[in-house]
Amino acid sequence: MINRTMAGFIKKEMIQALRDPRMKFILFVAPLVQMTIFGVAISNEVKNIRLAALFDSKDYVLRDVYERAIQGEWFVPARASRAMAADPFELVRSGQADAVLVGPPGGFTRALGRGDAPLELLVDATNVTQAQSVEGYMRTIVQRVVQTDLHLPAGGAPIQFDIRVLFNPSLDTSIFMVPGVMTMLMVLTTLVLTNIAIVREKELGTFEMLISAPVSRTEVILGKTVPYVVIGMTNLPLVLSVAVFVFHVPMRGSVLALIVATFAFVCTTVAMGTLISTYCRNQQQASMGGFLFMFPAIMFSGLIFPIENMPASVRWMSAIDPLAHYLSLLRNIMLKGGDVRTLASHTTALVILAAVSGAISFKRFHTTLT
Amino acid sequence: MNFRWRRAAAVARKEWFHIRRDPFTLTLALALPLAMVIIYGVAIDFNIKNVSLAVSDFDATESSRRLVDTFASSDYFRVRRADSPGQALQDVVAEKARAALVIPPRFEKDLGAGRGASAQVLLDGADNSTVGPVSLYVQTIQTLANARIAGANPVAPYDLRTRFLFNPELNSRWFVIPGLIVVIMAILSIFLTALTVAREWENGSMELLLSTPIQPIEIIAGKAAPYAGLGILAVAFVYVIARTAFGVPFEGNLLVFALGCLLFLATYLAQGLLISVVTRQQTVAMQLSMLTGMLPSNLLSGFVFPIASMPRFFWYFTMLLPARWFMVIARRSFLEGSTLAQLGVPLAALGVSCAVMVSLAARRFRRSLE
Repeated sequence: MINRTMAGFIKKEMIQALRDPRMKFILFVAPLVQMTIFGVAISNEVKNIRLAALFDSKDYVLRDVYERAIQGEWFVPARASRAMAADPFELVRSGQADAVLVGPPGGFTRALGRGDAPLELLVDATNVTQAQSVEGYMRTIVQRVVQTDLHLPAGGAPIQFDIRVLFNPSLDTSIFMVPGVMTMLMVLTTLVLTNIAIVREKELGTFEMLISAPVSRTEVILGKTVPYVVIGMTNLPLVLSVAVFVFHVPMRGSVLALIVATFAFVCTTVAMGTLISTYCRNQQQASMGGFLFMFPAIMFSGLIFPIENMPASVRWMSAIDPLAHYLSLLRNIMLKGGDVRTLASHTTALVILAAVSGAISFKRFHTTLT
Repeated sequence: MNFRWRRAAAVARKEWFHIRRDPFTLTLALALPLAMVIIYGVAIDFNIKNVSLAVSDFDATESSRRLVDTFASSDYFRVRRADSPGQALQDVVAEKARAALVIPPRFEKDLGAGRGASAQVLLDGADNSTVGPVSLYVQTIQTLANARIAGANPVAPYDLRTRFLFNPELNSRWFVIPGLIVVIMAILSIFLTALTVAREWENGSMELLLSTPIQPIEIIAGKAAPYAGLGILAVAFVYVIARTAFGVPFEGNLLVFALGCLLFLATYLAQGLLISVVTRQQTVAMQLSMLTGMLPSNLLSGFVFPIASMPRFFWYFTMLLPARWFMVIARRSFLEGSTLAQLGVPLAALGVSCAVMVSLAARRFRRSLE
């Protein structure tokens, strides 16, 4: 299927893409650096919440609660100045604390003796998820401390849940995040580059020269896109080895399944990049168009926000989002070992998306003068 | 080296013509913020509901049925039956369920005998966006189940009352939309400037400007002004939508917020210019803008992933990012009503990074022209 004309095209495109040393850096080094940085840095764990507690020296139960909280890794002491201490609300508003514990007048310990002790917890609820977790943690800590300090019978509740987290029992965040970062970097190098490379030829007018050359539309399209599929595929071993060797993300499933999935994904993003390029006249438009795709694509991928939670009216966006399918594939293969039907359905979805966007862009692709 | 407003204005006029002539850029600059706010506003909800739970009930007694009922009747879970624990686990692997509940055969007997009964809850650890909240829900259900089934209603001698400050209804939109302003501004300013100016280098029209008596600083000011205008327009736009359509409160000082906006805008415009001077090529400029502008302002600014949870090194490293500081200013201006004094640190940091970036851009620009 690949004849000499196309081989020449592909060769030229490869040289052009890799000619600039800065481009080589962007294609092969930057993804690794990025992956390391984001893999290490980002998580949605709740940690280092600055906690303040207002109590006097005799209120030992509340002091115990505070100290127990600080010992864990969720809370750190807030830098509370004594002058501010009078107003817990100000303490949070001024940004000195994220949460403040306030005992009743006369002290929490004494009130406990009466059997009716209100304990107030003020939480900065700007970040909703974080605020809810803080409340949950604090509830557990208070219960434990009161139980020990008052020597209450330790007999737990009659019904106990034994909670286990599958596939990532230590809740290691990088195991969650790294597949997501991989997805994002793969799309950055494939979709965006294809798009820009095609639009650049349009802008420079070199496409018009192709009219006078004896090449068919198919040859032009494949010649321009195949190199980016290849570049995308060469990125896979790079990012995969960072994931496995640096972040110790398990690779429980088959490597072959991962390669097939990645190939389907890269074809889809390259096809979508080509499609976007048919709507753009210059590189600025191309990059904004690429961006216009990337942003919702990341959002509906399920990396940051859970897909199940979206209203049905917008959930279909995830179905046509190649990032969502690839992320599910990566997680399913790497973490869960791969469920055949799940893999098949997501890979099929990618193939359909690639075929549809490929067909549309083939139809819209002009090598003629208008 | 005297700055002439007239000359800068002439450059700005030319740039403005250019934007007007290219409806794509203009539409994008206005449609992008609108689309992002609407999509985020409608689709994002951190409060996870309807988690699908695969239930394998070995006991099949009155008590175990009531336990399943407790899960089903809560808003949090949607129950689907599984024939065996293996089947329940398989449902999680095949992405049909996010969690599994396995009730052992002796559940009711154990409960009746006062030995304490336990049931196993398995959470899907491959998806970070759900595992944290779901484990909190399970704890809530445990308390509920104990009260309803075992009649255990231990009267705690205390009462922990949580006040969620600044966002009492825990509305995730209040958290996301002010942060979105930061992300939108970062993207628009850095992309538009980096690409337009890189194009002038690529076309060689920058060399043309050289031969005229115009000063580098005048070129910079002139080039940046229309994009600054677009950026401000976009912020105003998002502000209005946030306040009217989504009812996000604005408690702070509008002037302080505007000051933060201007400093932030200036910093990112300068960064865009710097990228264009360094790369002089649109393709590379585009990739660099993504790597240094879009990804960090999305992932490392605290927009979704809390900075407090990052490792120590990144906690300091993010201090170099203007987006981190503007994020604080935006969120606290909207929700907490912080005053100028309370925002002193982030504003000062933003001022410094603005000064550094602008002088860096001006220096590089001048040097490359000479």
